This record gives sequence, C-alpha cells and structure tokens, in this order.
Amino acid sequence: MNMFGWRIVFLIGCGVLMAGSHLAVAQQKDQPSFIDQAISNSQPKMVKVFGASAGKVEGFATGIIVSKDGLILSSQGVFLDGRQVKVVLSDGAEHIATILKRDRETQLSLLKIQATTPRFFELSTEAVGEKGDWVIALSNAFKVADKDEPVSAMLGVISLRTTMEARLTKRDVAYRGELVLIDAITSNPGASGGAVVTPNGKLVGIVGKIINSSETNTRLNYAVPSSVLHEFVDGKASVTKETQPAMERQDVEFGVVLFKLGGRNNPAYIDRVVRGSPAAKAKLKSDDMIVSIAGEKIGNLKDYAESLKSLRAEEEVLMIVKRGVEMVRVRIAPRLKK
Amino acid sequence: MPVEILRLVVGCLFGLLVNPFALTVAQTDNDQGKVDAVDAAVSELSEAELMEAMVLTSKAFRNAARRVTPSLVTIESYGGVSAVQGRIGGIRKQGEGNTTGIVISSDGYILTSTFNFIQRPPVISVILGSGERHFAKLVGRDDTRKICLLKIDGLTDLPTPEMVDESKIKVGQWAISLGVGYGDTSPAMSTGIISAKNRIGGRAIQTDANISPANYGGPLVDIEGRVLGICVPMNPQSQAVGAGVEWYDSGIGFAIPLANAKKLLDRLKAGEYIRPAFIGIQSGPNPLGDGILINKVNPKSPASRLELAEGDILLNINDNPVNDMLRLKQLINRFEAGETIRITVKRKSTGSEEQLEMPLDPPPTNAKEPLALPKIR
Repeated sequence: MNMFGWRIVFLIGCGVLMAGSHLAVAQQKDQPSFIDQAISNSQPKMVKVFGASAGKVEGFATGIIVSKDGLILSSQGVFLDGRQVKVVLSDGAEHIATILKRDRETQLSLLKIQATTPRFFELSTEAVGEKGDWVIALSNAFKVADKDEPVSAMLGVISLRTTMEARLTKRDVAYRGELVLIDAITSNPGASGGAVVTPNGKLVGIVGKIINSSETNTRLNYAVPSSVLHEFVDGKASVTKETQPAMERQDVEFGVVLFKLGGRNNPAYIDRVVRGSPAAKAKLKSDDMIVSIAGEKIGNLKDYAESLKSLRAEEEVLMIVKRGVEMVRVRIAPRLKK
Repeated sequence: MPVEILRLVVGCLFGLLVNPFALTVAQTDNDQGKVDAVDAAVSELSEAELMEAMVLTSKAFRNAARRVTPSLVTIESYGGVSAVQGRIGGIRKQGEGNTTGIVISSDGYILTSTFNFIQRPPVISVILGSGERHFAKLVGRDDTRKICLLKIDGLTDLPTPEMVDESKIKVGQWAISLGVGYGDTSPAMSTGIISAKNRIGGRAIQTDANISPANYGGPLVDIEGRVLGICVPMNPQSQAVGAGVEWYDSGIGFAIPLANAKKLLDRLKAGEYIRPAFIGIQSGPNPLGDGILINKVNPKSPASRLELAEGDILLNINDNPVNDMLRLKQLINRFEAGETIRITVKRKSTGSEEQLEMPLDPPPTNAKEPLALPKIR
C-alpha cells in the first residue's frame, strides 16, 4: 500500500475516534463552532478608537489590544491629532489613551490606556496564514458598533501575500513591506486598525488604512502582517528605516535621447542614439522602444529614469527593445554621465 | 491519480458543509431532502472536523489555483495613463499596472478582456507562465462580451486549461477568481460561488467572488481549477467598454463561459470585430398603452431604413413585449450587429400594426465615445 493509502486508513480511523468522542458533547445545544469561537474569543481584544475628524476624514478607527497592561495597536491617522483620543473597550468602558508611537511608513500607531487588559492578541514574528486560507476580519467599519456592542465580523480568504515595495507608487501609501491582501471588503471608513484572524483565532495582521492601488486603480483590502506589528511594538527601528543602498549612487547613461513630447507617462521610445555611446555600441536605433532593463519593465519615461538610478557604470545589463515587430535583446553597460 | 481526485471530492464536500451560501442555494433549489441531509451532517460534525473541513477547502482553493496558473499570462502595459482622459465607467482612471490573460490553445491564442486595452498600447507584450516575454497581436474582439483574442506566433506547446461546459455549471458551486493585476507573479485569488447563470443576454455567468481590474481577463475557475469563464466588467444597462467597473469587488461580478464557444472563437480567430447591436431610435414610455413611443429616428440607421417615424409605437421584438426602455435595452443586448430581429410596430400614419424584419447595425462610430461613462441608475 502506498503512502496515500495509509493516510486514508489513518483518516478513517480518526473519523471513528472523533465520532466516538463526539457522542459525549452531542447533547450540548448551541455548541459554538470554531468561527463563532474565533470571533467571540477575539471580541474582548478589540477596541473602538475615537479622536479628531478633519473635514471628510472620519475621526474614528478600530484597534487591537496587544498586552495585558493596556497597549493598543491602531492605524495612523488624523483621528490621533485631536486633544484626546478615546478608547472604548469591548465591555463599553471608556479610557483616555496616550499616544506612545506613531509611524508614517508602516501607518501604525501604538496607544496606551491605564487599565489591565488580560485578553490580548499575541503578535507572531512568523507569517500567519497563506494564500487561500480563510480569515475573519473584525472592525468597526462605519462606526456601526456603539459602546459595548461587538465590532463587525466578515469572512474571506487571503488573496495574496505580496511585497508592496515595488508595486505601489509613492502617492498610494508610504507603507513599504509585506501586505496580506484579503477578499473580505475592509477598505471602509473606521475599519483600519481592525483584526484579521484565522479560524483558530491567530492574528494574521491588522486592517490597513484605505489605499488606492495605482496598479488597478481600485481600493485594496489588506492586512499589515503581525511580524511588522511585532517589530513596531518592540521598537526595533528596522521597519521604520529605509535600507540604505550599500554603494553611493552613480549618475549613469546609455547615450540615448528619448522622445519627451508626450510627457513622463509616454513609452520610452529612442529619438536619437549618441555616437560612440554604449547605446551605439549595442546597435540601438532610433524608434526602438525600450521594453525592459535588467529584468524590470520600462512602462514609461518615469520607469526609465528610475531604472537608471539603480544601475552602475560598466556593469552589463540585459536590455530588451521593441524594433518594428521584433523583440531585440542587447547586453549593454551604462557609462558615467559626462 | 484517483487519490488526488478523492481528496478534491472530500474538499468540495466539506466546502459545501461550511459554506453557508451553498446551503441557502440548496434550499432554494427545492431539494429539501438534500438540505436536511446537509443540516444533519453539520450538527454531527465536531469542532475538530469542522476545522479540518475549513483547512481542506483552503487546500482545494490553492490546488485549483495551482492547476490553472501555468496557463495564466501577464499582459504588460506601456505608456502609462496619459492616453485616457476622464472617467471610465465610474472609475476616475484606469490602473497603470499589468493585466491578466489566459492561454486557450497550445499554439499561442490568448483570451483576455477588452478592458485591458482601453489605452490602445503601442505594443502588447505578455509574460507567459514560464517567465518568457513575447509580443502578441490583437486578432479579434467581441465588444458584446468584453473579450478579445491575442496571438503569439511561433509557439507550439503552451499549457492550456480545462474548460467547463456552461450547461454543467451549477448556481451555488464554488468559484475562484484569479488575476495578476496586483503586480505579483503569483495570482491573487478571491473565492465565492456562482450567483446566477444566463446574465447579460445569456452571455455571462455571475459570481460573488471579487471581480476587479486586478483579474479582468483572468479566469474564474471551479474547485478543481477548471475554467468556468473569463472575468470581465459587465453592466446590463450599458455596453461601454468600461461599464461594470463601478461594481468591482462588490459581490456582483461577471465572467464569460467559453467551453462551448468554438464558433465564437473561430470568428475571433478570423479577425472578426463583434459589436453590439444598434437600432437607431430614441424613445420613451407610451402614455396610451403597450409598447414604447418612438421620439426620434437616427438617420442612416436600421430604424430609418424601415421608415420608422416619430410617433410610431414599438410593441415587441421577436415576440417579446417591449414595455419600458430597460426591457428594450435588455432585448437588444441579446443580439449583435449583423443579426436580424423581427419587430412589431404600430404606425402612427396608418394606425395599423406591422411585422418587420430589421437587420441590426453596429453603433455609429461617432454616436458614442466607447469610453463614455455609463449611466448609473
């Protein structure tokens, strides 16, 4: 019998055992299922946060308790800018919070209330949940829950764990790092700072602020993963600091002049090749369209300028250009800009 | 491998058990015996078993995605967003990112959504599942289904997905949407069920899995990774290329089933451009009874060729009564330019009812900018 066969026998055996043990509890009515339990166990760890509003920006958010002595994680936002920030616990008790930390880049804030909070979320340093796993999002979106009312729960799956570093442009969000995209719709006012948990109650991350992806021009539904939260709470500065390039940046060029008439959003068409330049040696031609450099897509002039910043003189890279209907690959090393 | 299939079946079964939507649907199917059986099964499951079931559905989702992913392609966009001004179907502008397509034949035919070509890119480059980048040409398009066919030349052994015949698709079954629009090489997934069939003039199926620019052109697959349809933006009230985007990630999403569409694919392969039907009348409700009142007839339109005139009343199309404008749009949407419909009109001049054959035109090119904002009711 192969391994799979054994596994089936094992599963059947387990099933018999479970059915046996199940008889004992079958009498109990309203036995909570695990999703109920994940939600009911999480509710005491959820808080509602109220602060200042500014114009159309709402002055409320959600938060999660992360220590037994009243540490609360929430998102960064204008609601923190008022004279006081009010935190409402799941039993309806109101506390004035002090702001310990806030970070522009991770879009997180750490609050503290003077209360003991015996039930709190553990922040895992490892990734919790993978693509396709069920998750429950808990948040006070639209301020639906008042006082001691429990916050709203939604079911979805993890859509993708991805690094947003290269994906989102600056105007999307300052956040750089791993995002957990989910398919429950959490991109609503007041939801940020909510919890995303697995059906067995482990914290995947907290609901991120509303951001619009320039990739799709749609709102993203996502969680900031627990490992990032852990680093933020622990005070290790690595999440807040941009990693510095090891070497000093060089001003390099290939020796091409691009068509600039259409603005920076235009594709990178070569207008003219400078004689004697690396581009000339690589036999690039006028009207070639630069498609990629060193494996990175060059969608427009902006991408081209960004790409040059990461290159070093005399280091050969692969460039792909479109010439007529042909795709042409050349190896080319930029030179120091004169 | 039978064990693999067994595991999937177990996954599906448990999936049905833990999926509340599936239960609701079963109830509406008048299949009371089945519902009772399912309910009983739920009440006898232990927590550990339920947890195991949940874990199994997630494994089945991943398995489904893994099966179809080799056939997914990333369509790269070039030239940014400057080519499009103004709003497209409720979205201020289109995203700048890559979009999704799916290989349908080993010799390089790729299906995607017309939404991904609103910007009319100078070059269409696609990255195959293998990571290779190729240029593709646009071969044919169908504006009534918002799909288009691309072709990469010189290839012979591309992996193709299995497709599910539309007649085998059941309302309430699992549906998983996949797309690479968020920029990762691994597709993002959203799960849900088939909400309805026979939508948008019978062309589309409906799902509550998230459908958005992140997966337009990508596949909607079943729990075994077989393709149910191609995700597209759709709105029954408008055929503008961006219409339906306003419903992204809303629980109302559409996909075009294609397992049975050999005829359609042959037309697209032959370079055909299939366009919506246009009859050329402006009309309003008939205050005096049945039908709709024609207020204006566009010159050089199907209506003007039949000498329809202001004051005539359109009573029915192919024996379907037309009593309001929405119904008219729905009926016309079932057809495409080039087809012929049979209409019944009551002439104002003679007062008599006439049955007429009306060959349909495509919309005049200057009548409506294809990017125009659809009317949101």
